[in-house]
Amino acid sequence: MISRRKALRAGAGLAALATMGAPSIVHAQTKTLKITTWGGKWGEVMKATVLPAFEKEFKCTVSADQAFPFLPKLQVSPKNDPIYDVLHANSNEQWNAVVEGLVMDKITAKEVPNIADVYPYAVSDKIVGVTIFTSAIGLGYRTDKGLAKPTSWKDLADPKLAGARGGYLIPVNSLGQAHLMMLGKVYGKGLTDLDAAYKALEALKPIKLVDFTGQMEKMLLSAEVSMGVIHDSGVYRYEGANMQPVDFASPSEGVLALEQVLNVTPGSKVKELAFAYIDYMLRPDVQKLLAEAVWYSPANRKVKLDAKYDAKLLTTPEKVATLIQPDWKWYNARREDIDARVTKILKG
Amino acid sequence: MTNAARPSPIAWLIAPAGLLFVLFFVLPFAVMTAMSFYSGNPVTNPNAFLTTRHYERFLFDTAGIFHEALWSTLRIGLVTTIVSLLIGYPLAHWMARMQSRLGHALVLMAVIAPMLTGIVVRTFAWMTILQDKGVINTTLMQWGLIEKPLPLMYNEFGTIVALVHIYVPFMVLTLTGVIGRIDERLEQAARSLGAGRLRAFVEVTLPLSLPGILAGSLLVFALSISAYVTPSLMGGTDVLTLPMLIAQQVGTSFNPNFAGALGVILLLVSLAIVVAYNRILARLAGGQGMA
Repeated sequence: MISRRKALRAGAGLAALATMGAPSIVHAQTKTLKITTWGGKWGEVMKATVLPAFEKEFKCTVSADQAFPFLPKLQVSPKNDPIYDVLHANSNEQWNAVVEGLVMDKITAKEVPNIADVYPYAVSDKIVGVTIFTSAIGLGYRTDKGLAKPTSWKDLADPKLAGARGGYLIPVNSLGQAHLMMLGKVYGKGLTDLDAAYKALEALKPIKLVDFTGQMEKMLLSAEVSMGVIHDSGVYRYEGANMQPVDFASPSEGVLALEQVLNVTPGSKVKELAFAYIDYMLRPDVQKLLAEAVWYSPANRKVKLDAKYDAKLLTTPEKVATLIQPDWKWYNARREDIDARVTKILKG
Repeated sequence: MTNAARPSPIAWLIAPAGLLFVLFFVLPFAVMTAMSFYSGNPVTNPNAFLTTRHYERFLFDTAGIFHEALWSTLRIGLVTTIVSLLIGYPLAHWMARMQSRLGHALVLMAVIAPMLTGIVVRTFAWMTILQDKGVINTTLMQWGLIEKPLPLMYNEFGTIVALVHIYVPFMVLTLTGVIGRIDERLEQAARSLGAGRLRAFVEVTLPLSLPGILAGSLLVFALSISAYVTPSLMGGTDVLTLPMLIAQQVGTSFNPNFAGALGVILLLVSLAIVVAYNRILARLAGGQGMA
């Protein structure tokens, strides 16, 4: 027969077990994945379709931060409890983050199975994390100014374009930084030939500089510039909108890659969910949806886009081979000197 | 307990403002100053150490851009303040002396109306007016008056034009209150004693309005040296100010420590200018410091 004392002890033990187990049950029910993501059309599609479907499938909530810049916020959050689980950023920022130990060095198909289906550039040695999409940086130009379609990066230096060519404030924009490296390749010995790049940059003056791609789109659309450095998505997304006389050209020397890279923070408390999110973003159906919404080239080889997107985006191994990936680790290590030098070159 | 020992009711009313000031200025500024003396973030990086290297980097300026950026910031601030004063003073004087209540209300609305629109929107509006394919250049080229666009934007000129437009209301509103409180009969008395309009203004109204000039100037100067959006959008390659450099250091170079040092330097230099300005105006007014 169970004594009153034994019964009380057993009851207390069960209660304690229940109390200890409860937090984990509650935790499992309310898992939250903290991510960064872009705004604009991309953000609309993510919030309307992509993220709700992920939340439903993985029984979690996703907290998405669209307020740029992300890296300073990650920098000041504790490494063992970071403000984000998944960092979505361009490649140069991912390299800055990895140097400070804020994101993982490498993600493989073991953690994210869909990596097995991506183009090699998506996980090349120029990438930390995984590329989910890329854009091609080339030349945008007005088709109503009597200009021939540019075929080389050198066409931007055409004297006829003095004051009507556009570029970026190099210290604050990765397209400007990539273009500087491309000047080294086109006019010198390679992407790291900074002396040749500086000389070529000087020759581009007078040039109108902006700090973000949206502003370059606006300058091209308003004819404030006739030709400018821009990514293909920034031109193609206006297709059919009031018949804008703007087109994109891929120079023969190659186009620069503007990768959309996902990476996981080492201190994330929901790492498995973070990997599942990256895997989900690489699924062909998700890739197709986002690629066609914002004209990004999908990293997954198995994605079949509709004909009009397939014709213009980088969707075959041959087209992907024209992509040039800058060495951001090399660039970031010299960044302060480069910033000072280009500021002096372009000022005045 | 005596009444003298109790805090006055006004002290309780000031308390929220004091708390806000401490929480959102004193504390963040103290943290920023402390960060500027560290090599990294001491909270997240155990290897961060105390250093003066960020200040040395600015002081020795081997990059050759920091001193120019400081001078450019102050120059833009000073010119914007002077132009705002020159435009704002006559307008404020006219408003303060206006007899018609309706007229006063209408002018006041005209002054305040631009402030109802955000700075970004107003700056973009100036861009559409001043850019090479903007309203002014396109019109002048269509009329055959110019062959190539006038350099109205992508330089300090365009930046100052937009800043003056944004900050003139602050000058006008500050001056109107002060000028409105000057007894008009003092100017009339000076005129009845033989002074002309100009002399009565210069020797009576202007000195009495110096506190307003000081307050308005300080407000506009402080706002324009800390402006970020307008110089970034209007300045092109020609304008690099300290707020732009600070944003660069935080947002793209990920160096908040150097950004903190630049912030401290900007504040110290601005304070020195403000103190000097205060003393000069006080001497002109024949009194002690006014602010």
